Amino acid sequence: MEFLELLINALIAGILLGGFFAALSIGLSICFGLLDAVNIAHPTIIVGAAFCTFLLNDLLGIDPIVAGLILTPVFFLFGMGIYSLYYQFFERQSAEALRGLAFFFGLLFIAEVVMIMIFGVDHRLVSAPYIGESFTAVVTGMTFSVPYRLLAAFVIAGLMTLGISYYLSSSYFGRATSAVHQDMMALSLMGADPVMIKRIAFALGLATCGLAGALMIIVIPIEPAVGRFFIGNVFAIVVLGGLGSIPGTLVGALILGIAESLVSTFFGPSWAPAVSFGILLGVLAFKPTGLFGTGDTR
Amino acid sequence: MAELIIKDLVAGYGNVSVLHNVSLEVEEGSIVALLGTNGNGKSTLMRCVAGLIKPTAGSITFKDEGAEIDLISDSPKQIVDHGIALVPEGRRLFPLLTVEQNLMLGAYRKAARERIDESIEFCFELFPRLAERREQKAGSMSGGEQQMLAVARAMMSVPKLLLIDEPSVGLAPILVAQMIEKIGELSESRNVTILMAEQNFNQAIKIADRGYIIVHGEIAFASKDAQDLADNDMVKSYYLGA
Repeated sequence: MEFLELLINALIAGILLGGFFAALSIGLSICFGLLDAVNIAHPTIIVGAAFCTFLLNDLLGIDPIVAGLILTPVFFLFGMGIYSLYYQFFERQSAEALRGLAFFFGLLFIAEVVMIMIFGVDHRLVSAPYIGESFTAVVTGMTFSVPYRLLAAFVIAGLMTLGISYYLSSSYFGRATSAVHQDMMALSLMGADPVMIKRIAFALGLATCGLAGALMIIVIPIEPAVGRFFIGNVFAIVVLGGLGSIPGTLVGALILGIAESLVSTFFGPSWAPAVSFGILLGVLAFKPTGLFGTGDTR
Repeated sequence: MAELIIKDLVAGYGNVSVLHNVSLEVEEGSIVALLGTNGNGKSTLMRCVAGLIKPTAGSITFKDEGAEIDLISDSPKQIVDHGIALVPEGRRLFPLLTVEQNLMLGAYRKAARERIDESIEFCFELFPRLAERREQKAGSMSGGEQQMLAVARAMMSVPKLLLIDEPSVGLAPILVAQMIEKIGELSESRNVTILMAEQNFNQAIKIADRGYIIVHGEIAFASKDAQDLADNDMVKSYYLGA
């Protein structure tokens, strides 16, 4: 009985954690999966958004989720700027992803140092009515609990993923975004400007950091370097789900979330990353394109 | 009402000049063949018209509905917006997208989006094979089917001038004949002006109203009509090595 209670609670927590992971990965799925930009700074940019959420909450008393919505267009514009720099100094000159990696690595360190200079290395939290509370149900003597902060992350991540997925599959811009890494020259013959498509799609990827940052500070206390712990996870999720597939990223995030939750509950948290990457390697061995990959093994 | 006039065009890649003072005209509603073997500048000329290469000298003018548009300084996007579509050499499909997604991307320009349903219907009528394969990934189709898709995708932009670069390349002889026939068909049914670069002389002259022979980046022969082209000795010596 106790085991069953533990198992079900671990599954619930895992699904919710998966939603949170999806929110962290969805932007990277666009930048890396569709645009070939190895944005290793993605989690750190999310931490930046989390600190912005902290300021809006701490100074103005704005609800963190509302703050995340306010930050979304700000990070969209930030993404336009970052892509312009990236294109100007890296992508235009050579197609090598490795040079781009250097750019994003630099961005990661600069962003971290700036945050340390402003906020120091202390952990920060936000306050909202739903943080620290749980929905608890007692069924046949077993107690199940759903933390509201994780539930909020799950719901928002789900809506964000479905929204982006729908937009990319049903709009002219979305179809051009999935075509742009396949053949830029052919896309320009369709009357689309490939560089503009990439800039807007990249900005859309970074716009998700606004909400993801708000969710991050709702779920965990943050400090400037916390993004590093998520680099492995988010890349593993995008590759597991399949490069170029937004729904795949959601599924990948849920799988890793459930796996990490189960392993943490029964074997201890230190095993969680090993199991996550074990799953990734196992899937890639049998399906090199990831679960929902489009057949492109770049 | 579309007409293309190219005058004294000079273009190339870096320091290598490929086209030397090329002049040609494509009259409204006609099919003009640009004939020549590999490496003589056919594709370079097509790319110049589509805006993918910037010529170093000369002019490219597109006449449409009484307006004269200078294409030299326009971007590929602007050129598509004028109603000019290129079926590029090697097809350049989006291999991981389905047939239908490829076609829908063809209708990307604003003016084409309003007519997308009608255009898709037209393409499926012209190439029924594509309708059967609409959910299939473009990269997994045969060469002939891919060439159909490449032509259909260009037609999705509702062009007034269609540039086709070597529709016969890599196809079995029977498919070449079919493809050329289809191009002739669509020129009539859609009233589209066509400039077609081709190596396959015998097939191209079946539908061409006129033709040019390009040798080493220069127009070696410009025909007045189809008969004139078929009778020309230059063609025979050029193709048969006589």
